[in-house]
Amino acid sequence: MDKLASLLHLTPALLWMALKVIIVFAGVMSLAAIFTWVERRGSAMIQDRIGPNRAALFGKIRIIGLAQILADGIKMFFKEDLAPTDANRNLFWLAPFLAFVPALMGFAIIPFGRSFVSGGQTYHLSVLDPGNGMGMLYPLAIGGMAVYGVLVAAWSSNNKWSILGGMRASAAMVSYEIGMSLAVVSIFMTTGGYDPAEIITAQGHLPWTWNIVRQPLGFIVFFTCMFAETNRLPFDFAEGESEIVAGFNTEFGSMKYSLLALAEYSHMMTASALIATLYFGGWQVPFVKDPTVLMSVACFLMKLVFFAWVFVWIRWTVPRFRYDQLMKLGWKRMLPLSMVNLVVHAWFMSQSH
Amino acid sequence: MGVIVKKVELSWLDRTYVWPVMKGMAITFDHFIRNLFTPTAKRYTIQYPDMKKEMPEGYRGLHELKRFEDGAIKCVACFMCQEACPARCISIEAEEFSDLNITQGFEEKRPAIFKIDMLRCIYCGMCEEACPKDAIWLRKDYEVAAYDRLSMQYGKWDLMNTYAAADGKERISQDPTPTVPRRTIVM
Ligand code: SF4
Ligand code: SF4
Repeated sequence: MDKLASLLHLTPALLWMALKVIIVFAGVMSLAAIFTWVERRGSAMIQDRIGPNRAALFGKIRIIGLAQILADGIKMFFKEDLAPTDANRNLFWLAPFLAFVPALMGFAIIPFGRSFVSGGQTYHLSVLDPGNGMGMLYPLAIGGMAVYGVLVAAWSSNNKWSILGGMRASAAMVSYEIGMSLAVVSIFMTTGGYDPAEIITAQGHLPWTWNIVRQPLGFIVFFTCMFAETNRLPFDFAEGESEIVAGFNTEFGSMKYSLLALAEYSHMMTASALIATLYFGGWQVPFVKDPTVLMSVACFLMKLVFFAWVFVWIRWTVPRFRYDQLMKLGWKRMLPLSMVNLVVHAWFMSQSH
Repeated sequence: MGVIVKKVELSWLDRTYVWPVMKGMAITFDHFIRNLFTPTAKRYTIQYPDMKKEMPEGYRGLHELKRFEDGAIKCVACFMCQEACPARCISIEAEEFSDLNITQGFEEKRPAIFKIDMLRCIYCGMCEEACPKDAIWLRKDYEVAAYDRLSMQYGKWDLMNTYAAADGKERISQDPTPTVPRRTIVM
């Protein structure tokens, strides 16, 4: 590590940082890309179809259709990049990035493995080291920014369907954010800190001490709100393809569309990472007190992939809500539930002290 | 007449929404697992170019003009099919031929040209019904497509060989008996 750093004229800390950024973002992006395929194959199997299985490398190597990702990428890349005449050009260009960047950035805070000490220096496996003062507030704030991506995309394309989708999505996101934040606050409260590293260590390595067991109500609220946040199927009001064409990405084509799609999947990855961190012990390996670094990373990855799969699974099980049902669920169910959760935990804490 | 729609009263368990979603997820997961462990070839979907659907009995597909064992066409050019065809897509020209020589004076009829315009054919099977000789059959080939219009005009030899490969028969392109010129009866 030190040798490589001096070779690149960097300090070891800087090199480690760069490495982490590359690993995390490349990893999340490729996972997101793989999940576009997983979603299609998984949904096909759930619906007794077959799904994309024919794309092959060089027309021969058919790795159960995984080459579809490559094929799609190439196709998207070479498509004509159209912008509607009356679109707001600058915002139209900016929108995919506005959607994509916050979706990726939320992941920066999440420790994807156990910290380790090497050569008298501690290495933390998260892009932002623990104790940076932002903690879990950071992904919540960044998640709030995701509204802009959708809304700007909808606004700039100058299309009625788009703006309808964008408005609905932003309303849904904003109203679910409250319930979600309250659910997270009750975790902060029981943990006594809002740093993800603290939350993970407080949960311990035994599955029944994880937050999912301690706060099942909070988990249900948080999980539901995550669906609204990521704009995925029971709450995909941004797209709603049976109602408003394709919602906010109606006018987007080629690479812009693919960026928007990738943003959705990156968002899904971040959301499942958050769920794993907050409620399922992050990188803690069940029943192993002192896991090795590799084991903890593998365990975290497994949790991440599992929750991403649950996102896919629920999407192909539950039909879309009606808009008023969504609002009712958000304000009349999720918000009171998360408040009850908060109050109950506060009461328990006051009793035990 | 009005119909009274009964509204289903949901139990409290169903109204929590969480439990029904979990039930639904169990169903979809069951499908997923079942499909995951079924090889692709055995699933419902027929993967078309690799696998083909076995058509049911009585399916009306591409026509075949039947032949005798020696390769002679069964059709006697009676024009019944041409008359019966609702799409008017059969056109036949008859000719006479004979095994015997002219002086023996025995003649038979067969089509010199037998054309079906497959672009107009509606695969109704009327020609098959009308044929007194069982010479035209609609069989199970459904892959009737071509790159240009001309290749959709099936001639006599095309129609006689449509199922040659499937039945393991030889392709033929010649009548076993030569045509004889029309005999003129000299009074
Ligand atoms: S199937 Fe029907 S339409 Fe086709 S050639 Fe025979 S009679 Fe005509
Ligand atoms: S195919 Fe049958 S109906 Fe048609 S001309 Fe020949 S013998 Fe007559």
